[in-house]
Amino acid sequence: MTRKKRVRAGTVVGHTGAILWSALALIPFALIVLLAFKSNTDIYTDPLGLIGVDWRPENFSEAWNGAPGGQGFAVYLLNSAVVTSIAIAGCLLVGALTAYFATLASTRVRLLIVRLFLVATTLPLIMLLIPYYTAFNALDLLGSPWALGVLYIALCLPTCVLILHSFYLGFPSELAEAASIDGLGRFQTFVRIVLPLSKGPIVAVGMINAFFVWGETQLAIVLLQSPSSRTIPVGLLDFKGQFASNTGAIFAGLTLATIPLIIVYLIFNRTITKGVALGGVFR
Amino acid sequence: MLVPALIILALFFGLPIVDLIRTSFTRWPGIGEPTFIGTDNYITAFTSPEVREALLRSVLLGVGAALILSTIATVLAALISGGLRGKSIYRVIWFLPAIAPPSAVAVFWALSVQPRSGAVNAFLGALGLGDTHAWLADPSTALYVIIAVAVWAGVGFAFLVILGAMEEVPVSVYEAASIDGASRIRQFFFITLPLVRPVLSMIVLLEVIWAFNGFTLVWGMTQGGPGNATSILPVQVYKDAFLFSNFGLAAAVSVVGGILLLVVGLVGQWLGSRKGADE
Repeated sequence: MTRKKRVRAGTVVGHTGAILWSALALIPFALIVLLAFKSNTDIYTDPLGLIGVDWRPENFSEAWNGAPGGQGFAVYLLNSAVVTSIAIAGCLLVGALTAYFATLASTRVRLLIVRLFLVATTLPLIMLLIPYYTAFNALDLLGSPWALGVLYIALCLPTCVLILHSFYLGFPSELAEAASIDGLGRFQTFVRIVLPLSKGPIVAVGMINAFFVWGETQLAIVLLQSPSSRTIPVGLLDFKGQFASNTGAIFAGLTLATIPLIIVYLIFNRTITKGVALGGVFR
Repeated sequence: MLVPALIILALFFGLPIVDLIRTSFTRWPGIGEPTFIGTDNYITAFTSPEVREALLRSVLLGVGAALILSTIATVLAALISGGLRGKSIYRVIWFLPAIAPPSAVAVFWALSVQPRSGAVNAFLGALGLGDTHAWLADPSTALYVIIAVAVWAGVGFAFLVILGAMEEVPVSVYEAASIDGASRIRQFFFITLPLVRPVLSMIVLLEVIWAFNGFTLVWGMTQGGPGNATSILPVQVYKDAFLFSNFGLAAAVSVVGGILLLVVGLVGQWLGSRKGADE
């Protein structure tokens, strides 16, 4: 009897903890959206109030177009799209090829590839910042979103190769053998048989890396010098200065930056969770 | 077919490291030709109180955030794997903070801890605790606010990984323990924790590295201020290079900090690869 009571008390405590953390995780997002619709005066006098609010949807058009003389969210979104699509297309292409052909190579070569990429994943970004800046500066590429996209291909490659490599290791070799009997070359086998069968992990890896690239700030701040070349994360930091006296517009920018991502996450959350379980890393 | 990947490794990882080490032995303002000055930058790096304090702050942020968030994540994972109802919905909600871009997280929390207009202070005011404290403008509280935000943003990922490890523990082990009359709490401490320990140590080390290197949060919230109160190592590197045009010193500090992180990272990987090896 007492044992039952104890278990019940434990469940109550457990639920309380779980609900408390859920509130902490959710409320900030609700606040971002709420404040995005408020006027500056309202934010300063009664940020949490819901009654008698002077609703201001114009915050969104201001954030979208930017303050006079500044760049708006529309420009940042375009740059982010360019950077992310180059990065993900490139790293999946090279990553899948490398991972698959590494499993066909001799054990020594395969392990060498894996170890090299393991070291590359551990290499701190702080060590790459200055050399990348020096190189971009010398090549006159500061402020070029596509060049940053190419750089991200390299940064995403290690996770890509490692996760796909462990998937291809468990890949039944009979399939590739059957294909070669049918007269397909190694490369054709890869394109026609292996790729379609590894769609799942490829999408998961792509998603994880897309989230990383979409939010990467440290390199982007250094390498995207001109305001018109900035991606969303750098642009948001810029908003703090641009809209110093228009906090509502900053919140509108934050809403534009987070809510679509959350919608994507809710749709694909199984894939993303799988990516994390496979060893994907959000940096 | 493996050649493109090796070229990319050499070009984007190998060459930059060589270049960084070369820069660290020079004086270079970012333009013109660098002057070779031997180990001067390293001597400055090891003797400058600024660099030493930045390193200590990085360690405090890294270790502090990692320990707190791993503890919270472990408790949450234990609740869910212990069969708390609503597992799938909690899993989705708790991962949300990890989805938001770090710079958005930084801007949001920086605005939220403003005196009066910030939601956090408005909430504290409503509780009668006063709403005028400028958390980020006060050198004694700024770094702790950043640690709290790093915890808020980091729990989701750690929780997912730890939960994955806990769910691999066979149910039969718990059943046997129940028959022997071990309470839930005892089962957690004597079965669950020892079995997920390898994953847990890996996560703690990973989180230490990420928080230690948490440039985005700090830059977005305080830019290292007030004064130098939140200037962690990557912020120090950024300021030395891009504000004070001292690329040689910034490179030397990067080398020292980078090697430190690399060692911790490799230890973490080694722990992670030993997953289940000591069963």
